[in-house]
Amino acid sequence: MRSIAWHWRNNPKRELWLAWYATVVFYNIFFIVFFPVTHAQPPPHPGWSDAQVAYWFARSHGGLLAGFAIMFAIAGLTAPQNALIAYSMRRMSVSRAFAYSYLVMYSLSALPGMLLLCVVLSVGALRPGRDPAQLHWLYDFGFLSFTGTMGIFLIGSLVWMLAILLDKNRVMPKWFGYLNLCNALTEVVVAPAWIFRTGVLTWNGLISWWINIAVFGIYTGAFIMQLRNLILREDFGDGPLPSLAEATR
Amino acid sequence: MAGARADGELILFWTLPVLAAIWVSAFFLFPGFAHPMSPALTAAQVAGFYRDPAHLSLIRSSMILFNWFGVGLVPLLTLLVLQVKRMAHRTPILSYCLLGCAAGGPAVFLVADIFWLLAAFQPGRDPQLTLMFNDLAWMTFTTAVPFLIGQSLIIALAIYLDHPGRPVFRRWVAHFNLVIAAALVPAAFTGLALSGPMAWDGLLPFWLKNTAIAAWIAVMSVVLGRNIYRQRAA
Repeated sequence: MRSIAWHWRNNPKRELWLAWYATVVFYNIFFIVFFPVTHAQPPPHPGWSDAQVAYWFARSHGGLLAGFAIMFAIAGLTAPQNALIAYSMRRMSVSRAFAYSYLVMYSLSALPGMLLLCVVLSVGALRPGRDPAQLHWLYDFGFLSFTGTMGIFLIGSLVWMLAILLDKNRVMPKWFGYLNLCNALTEVVVAPAWIFRTGVLTWNGLISWWINIAVFGIYTGAFIMQLRNLILREDFGDGPLPSLAEATR
Repeated sequence: MAGARADGELILFWTLPVLAAIWVSAFFLFPGFAHPMSPALTAAQVAGFYRDPAHLSLIRSSMILFNWFGVGLVPLLTLLVLQVKRMAHRTPILSYCLLGCAAGGPAVFLVADIFWLLAAFQPGRDPQLTLMFNDLAWMTFTTAVPFLIGQSLIIALAIYLDHPGRPVFRRWVAHFNLVIAAALVPAAFTGLALSGPMAWDGLLPFWLKNTAIAAWIAVMSVVLGRNIYRQRAA
């Protein structure tokens, strides 16, 4: 506790560390809520009948409502993560346009890419007696908006990739730039989920889900470690804060 | 700092009282807010609410007003981002965080607004469908707190990490933002109750949440306005 208090007062990198820990906390809660609590991941089958979907809602009822309630409370933790990634681009020898466009796109992404699923499946779970055909519509809406929100992550990853590959300050290794390309490509292979209800290309299929989640897991782990390295290497020295230096000038 | 770059800040700032007046009138114009609609209503009762000729024009006009002016909050949030940028931080990361939250709150609210207008568009629809659109509207509206909680916590953090000798905002503004963040949390959990103080028409997710949002806008406007005037005078 004493060490935390010391860092809070004296660590020049405290803003960056807080954003990094917010990222780690968010992904841990995200995993717990989406996998064991709500069973929204791995996603259930897109080819089910109305009755099977109604049964899924009935079985996951409490988990869906409690789990997504947690997401509504903590989804703001995505802001520090996006800010930290945008900051990594500010440290690179590229235009500020990269940092700002990434920040705008990923700030927007939370709504179609996650919160709509949380709202829609919560509404499904809210009234277990609802007409199964309507439950099925909510189910399709939720999973398609979650899996099928592609462009933001596609273009966002390419913006980060381009910034890393153009950067002369070596803020991040080039291999991580190419890993961004892998993440971008997963958004391409996900597109058939909008079309197929059976087979490997569905929203829970081998290609559109299992390969995707593997790449996403590796990518997320890698960028969390790269952001940690960025903060560790950051050298602010022990000079005065920028605004104080300005004031005494 | 009071030079050309701050031009227009006062105009953006003084749009707020006008917007607040519109928000408050739209809030009381919507017949489902003054006595908030219970989630325990049956499909027939919900359909009756939208089919009532006395309600229909009020629902539509209030939600169109919210659609026009709800995003008017973004300039206030952007002015707050500029205040955070003035603080004695080593990186722009907290102003980035706040900018990231600025779009989120109004955008989620717009989704709720669309569901309400959709329910009112064809009130003659199957009552089960009207009930579903009404549920979507109320759940989206009530749980639309993540970015509001986020921005309050970020403002509080930014103030705590500012230089205590020359603060942009006083410390009590940070404490106030923490209280607001805490008051918004119960609304996230409204799906767990269809009646009582945790239902979407209940004490915590409706009255406490909306009062907290109103108080936040009022208090932050005053402290922001004072700063803008002081900075222009400097």
